[in-house]
Amino acid sequence: MRFEDLRETLLKGGIAPRHVRRYLAELSEHLDDLTEKQRAQGYDREDAELRARALLGEDRELAAAMLEQKSLRSITARVPWAIFGILPPFAATAAMLVPLGVLVMTGKVLGFLEKGAARPHWFELLATATAACANLVFFPLASVLFVALVARHRLSITWALVAVAIPLLLFLHSVAEFTIPGHPGIRIGVGMAPIFLPKGWKTAIADWPIVTAQYVLALLPLVWLARRRLTAR
Amino acid sequence: MPSESALAAGLSELMVLRLLREQEMYGYEIVQAIAARTRQVLTPGEGVIYPLLHALEKDRLLKSRRKTVVGRSRIYYSLTARGAKRLSAMTDHWKALTGAVGAVLHAV
Repeated sequence: MRFEDLRETLLKGGIAPRHVRRYLAELSEHLDDLTEKQRAQGYDREDAELRARALLGEDRELAAAMLEQKSLRSITARVPWAIFGILPPFAATAAMLVPLGVLVMTGKVLGFLEKGAARPHWFELLATATAACANLVFFPLASVLFVALVARHRLSITWALVAVAIPLLLFLHSVAEFTIPGHPGIRIGVGMAPIFLPKGWKTAIADWPIVTAQYVLALLPLVWLARRRLTAR
Repeated sequence: MPSESALAAGLSELMVLRLLREQEMYGYEIVQAIAARTRQVLTPGEGVIYPLLHALEKDRLLKSRRKTVVGRSRIYYSLTARGAKRLSAMTDHWKALTGAVGAVLHAV
């Protein structure tokens, strides 16, 4: 691919990926125009391409011109501590609250959440499945999002580790519990039990299968990124 | 007083804004137009014009659109109202600057 080294330099320099993509596309078009011009001046294809590439400028100059424009740096590169340090717990909470919110709204509209209301079996199944999905699909998806962001911006893997570790340490988890028949009641929500506190690790031990699965799924994208970085060396 | 590199950067910006006041252009056209109009005295680096164009667009002085002409898809840039204001201010400043420098040179 054309300008591959330049792409890496710019991304590592913090330039926003959309500006990098457009810059490379424009350089590619510019190079084609220069090549055509050299061909029109009588050079054969190989010479024309070499002359055009020299006229376009060295990668070092092309990179320096872009890196000089501070306004083209991405927010992620400018304030990684905010993106990977503050946002993850909120993103993980949202990833779990949204599906549960939809479920609660459905239950309210259909009147299943009223005290003493009869709940069909399918709603209890749906609630259990939604909570499981929130824990095992949406929560790890938030982790995928932050790891992908680190990969896309060529940032240090430490940022991915921070983004994944914070929600895991806070131990965010969805709950959907039903009382025994004859005693109506339902508990649907998102809980937080920091794993480093007694309440947290006691809950984690009690719910170890779901906690283990949640941790493994959330850490998998990180493993993928680490392997990718090692392979690229 | 602006440094030499700041002056060069300001000059590139001024020329780009002035050219785009007349018509929309893509990067290659802009570079060729600057070289032709300054009779090759000023020849901006072929590839380094784009970061400036991106930055000017980010400042909302330019806008861009992708357009296909004769089978080639290119990104065309044009001046915005904000860019026109900036061009006017820069032109006045440039005239004042050249007038001042001219006065010093002629006095020597």
